[in-house]
Amino acid sequence: MSNVFYEKFERHSHGEGLKGQSTHYCPGCGHGLIQKYLAESIAELEIQDRTIAVSPVGCSVFMYYYLDVGNTQAAHGRAPAVAIGHKVANPDSVLISYQGDGDLASIGIAEIVQAAQMGIPLTVIFVNNAIYGMTGGQMAPTTLMGQKSATTPTGRERLTGQPMKVAETMALLDGTVYVERVALYDNKLRMRTKKAIKKALQVQIDNRGVGFVEVLAECPTHLKMTPVETERWVKEAMEPIFPLGVKKDLDSDPWFHLEKPSFEPDRIIEVVGATSEETDRHCDGFPTHIDSHDIGLKLAGAGGDGAQTAAMLIAKAAVTEGFDSTHIPSYGPESRGGTSYADVHVANEEVLSPAAPRPHLLVAFNAPSLEKFGPTVQPGGTIVYDSSVIAEPPELDPSVTLVGVPCTEIARDLGAAKVKNVVALGALQAATQLFPRETFLTSVRQALRHNCAMIELNEEAFGWGARAFEEMAGAN
Amino acid sequence: MPTGNTRTRPKPFVMPQFCKACGRCIDACPKDCISLGTQIESSTGFTPVVLDLEACNGCGLCFSACPEPFGLAPVPNEFETELFDPAKTFGPRQSTAIEPVAIPDERIPLPDLEPLVLKGNHAAAIGAILAGCRHFFGYPITPSTEGAELMAKLLPQIDGVFVQAVSEVATINMMYGCGGAGMPCMTFTSSPGFSLMVEGISYMIGAEVPGVIVDVMRGGPGLGNIAPEQADIKLLCRGLGHGNTHAPVLAPSTPQEMLEMALLAFELAFKYRHPVVIAGDGYLGQMTGRVTLPDSMVKPGMPEWAVWGDEMHRGNLISSIFLAEPDLEAHNIRLNEKYERMAAEEQRADLYQCEDADWLIVACNTPARMAKGAVQKLRQEGIKAGLFRPITLWPFPIDALASIIDNVEGLLVVEGSNGQLEDELRLAMSHAGIRHPRIENVRHFGGILPSLAEIVDKLTSLLEVAA
Ligand SMILES: Cc1ncc(C[n+]2csc(CCOP(=O)(O)OP(=O)(O)O)c2C)c(N)n1
Ligand code: SF4
Ligand code: SF4
Ligand code: SF4
Repeated sequence: MSNVFYEKFERHSHGEGLKGQSTHYCPGCGHGLIQKYLAESIAELEIQDRTIAVSPVGCSVFMYYYLDVGNTQAAHGRAPAVAIGHKVANPDSVLISYQGDGDLASIGIAEIVQAAQMGIPLTVIFVNNAIYGMTGGQMAPTTLMGQKSATTPTGRERLTGQPMKVAETMALLDGTVYVERVALYDNKLRMRTKKAIKKALQVQIDNRGVGFVEVLAECPTHLKMTPVETERWVKEAMEPIFPLGVKKDLDSDPWFHLEKPSFEPDRIIEVVGATSEETDRHCDGFPTHIDSHDIGLKLAGAGGDGAQTAAMLIAKAAVTEGFDSTHIPSYGPESRGGTSYADVHVANEEVLSPAAPRPHLLVAFNAPSLEKFGPTVQPGGTIVYDSSVIAEPPELDPSVTLVGVPCTEIARDLGAAKVKNVVALGALQAATQLFPRETFLTSVRQALRHNCAMIELNEEAFGWGARAFEEMAGAN
Repeated sequence: MPTGNTRTRPKPFVMPQFCKACGRCIDACPKDCISLGTQIESSTGFTPVVLDLEACNGCGLCFSACPEPFGLAPVPNEFETELFDPAKTFGPRQSTAIEPVAIPDERIPLPDLEPLVLKGNHAAAIGAILAGCRHFFGYPITPSTEGAELMAKLLPQIDGVFVQAVSEVATINMMYGCGGAGMPCMTFTSSPGFSLMVEGISYMIGAEVPGVIVDVMRGGPGLGNIAPEQADIKLLCRGLGHGNTHAPVLAPSTPQEMLEMALLAFELAFKYRHPVVIAGDGYLGQMTGRVTLPDSMVKPGMPEWAVWGDEMHRGNLISSIFLAEPDLEAHNIRLNEKYERMAAEEQRADLYQCEDADWLIVACNTPARMAKGAVQKLRQEGIKAGLFRPITLWPFPIDALASIIDNVEGLLVVEGSNGQLEDELRLAMSHAGIRHPRIENVRHFGGILPSLAEIVDKLTSLLEVAA
């Protein structure tokens, strides 16, 4: 007996009476043997303190009664996910995901496939007893053809599936480095099982990947045989379907390593994009010539027109000036349908309704947008539209000012079609005096602080937009 | 496997009360030393094996064939009496695991920082980072995904870990593992994803595992749409999986609050050893707004109960199993006490112009912004309206409501759902024994949120009818 077992199973019926030192398993059950080899391996590898055993749902649900290691009990099928959670929390811990065939190959198939594909080092012990033990002998994914169970009363046939070869499947996945199928029915195989378990732990300790051991195990109770008959059944009936042996044994290098998380305030501040540096303000006050306390804007176009970026620049400019501001983009399938529109509010104190169904100002990058949102603009409002692509604006409320600026053309002349949104912003600024020109330019420069080479181009685009409006206004 | 000559290799002995008579050792012995006994062991009802060790060569094969840890064992070299030391067999648990002690969180001051302009989802993610969260698990779903995306970008830069799980089911179970290891961790999801998480949340509550889940609610049922509904309130307040489950549900209404509630959520999660939900709506997740950063950040310590995977925490267990009925009843009573403590200490509400209000508008999340605008408008028209905004949907902030309800003529519940907020309100008033005034509502579904004008019109028309 290894010292990795508690000397008294306090968690088993409070350790009272016999339960304090005997397992809850039926006589001859394979689980008891496997856990014994697990305990011995942990002791021999001297990893008792580092080990966390994840107990599944199934007959081995109470593994935590016995193993004197860190213990977590997982939901049915989820042990590999739980183990990953533990492992990334403490990369030095050694995780054992111990699972039955229902747990691993049925309800938890997604979790084990992800774990075996990712390859975050874990040790998986898969107990294939060809049956659901805990719930009373129903069919498992590994139940043999013709095998009777509570849910295959006349024997398993095609309609109820075919026995799943888990070890072979796991060997195909890229994250496993060692996969072996073993059995318990004679002395030699028992020694082999112990060795396999130890090796599956070692590949984890070496930070190489997932070590996976499938154990053909006896469930005498639901096979309705004596333990020794069950051993024979495993040999004669199971083994031909589930051939024993090493399915994969990579000679791979350690790869798994995680640094300790950083809590260095300067680093955190930088990473979240914060700064103590104040930005210059240029506004004398809220642009009350547009509205006394809350201005609504809409920017609309096709995806790629830059409506959202322009909206964000306005919102940032507003906040820099000490106002409140919100921006809501259209999102999801809407944005995939080719249209992209943004609702922006700028408020003296607090934005209350972030949607802008009746905007004061509209920037329209294409005809459908102008068609759709033009009529929603408030009387006395302003519309800036891209006259390069909108030849003839629709008939609108005469109190609304229409500013047509050839944004696309100007941008193309500057050699960068994507700056047409900044051209539009220039025109918007000049036409509405929402904020001073410097406020916008500061916002543009800040947005490009990690891409300084683009600043000049954007400033130029802004300037051309403003000039285009001024020329137009002069001409009128 | 013992080595050396046969004389020194230990021979087996069997403790009859721990032998289940499976016979595996019989088969294993090459020397036929073991046979099934004839005497029934009265304490177990089994017939333990008997050993005749004349021919035994101490090969040890029988030990490795016995599934019972204490069934068949080598005779140790020590005095045999020790094997039967009753203090070991029937006394306190024998483990060398040491008593764990908690390492407290550290609060690290931050300099004065300029306000940021952030999307609600991003604000909550940054809040989590400042709360000390370095572990994120998630599965993409609109309109919550920007939270996960920002974490995927930022966490590696600060040596945190981002894992995209195979599903929301895997997500919540990764959180169960990471939270069980004592680390602050979180996810972002939206309604269908939250539905998939509830089994895991029930496990977290049962096993007392902290974690923060941001649910950016969208239109349902089914796939519904991705527009801002508030139709998970029932699920969050009444349906956190099977069993006796509740958890604090925080309802921000601005990007600023998305950040603040993320900070609060982690604080509550560890204060109570419990999952905490932040319930946003699609607008709030997507909306960009001004966000002021706090004056400090947290470096998390390590709770004493963590299953961390080291010597100090080896004796710990994360489990929601209490097999004996009295044990599970006692556990539920403890959970109930926790819920009562949450209800007593964590109710939060924002009261706007409520002191002299005749009518209270009750709203949370984005609709509360419209409702606040409506209150301003109604006040300008001489109507004494106020806004009662629950910030904790569970526990419902009934105490704050109770203190002002006597002079209120009516409640107008404004929500983007089929009355789920109203149900919480009614239930809370009923439990508190408050005879409620008239309750009216403005409701929308499918992702349409009530507008300011609608709220004003509704209340005005109610008052006209009354006049
Ligand atoms: C979500 C969920 N579904 C179903 C169950 C019921 N259940 C408990 S154990 C089990 C099957 C266990 O079989 P297996 O994984 O083969 O383990 P064994 O008991 O054979 O060791 C099932 C279906 C559950 N606990 N949780
Ligand atoms: S039912 Fe089967 S698997 Fe479960 S303990 Fe009994 S023998 Fe073992
Ligand atoms: S030690 Fe070997 S010979 Fe002796 S009883 Fe056990 S199996 Fe038989
Ligand atoms: S293997 Fe163990 S439990 Fe089974 S008969 Fe032998 S001593 Fe008893």
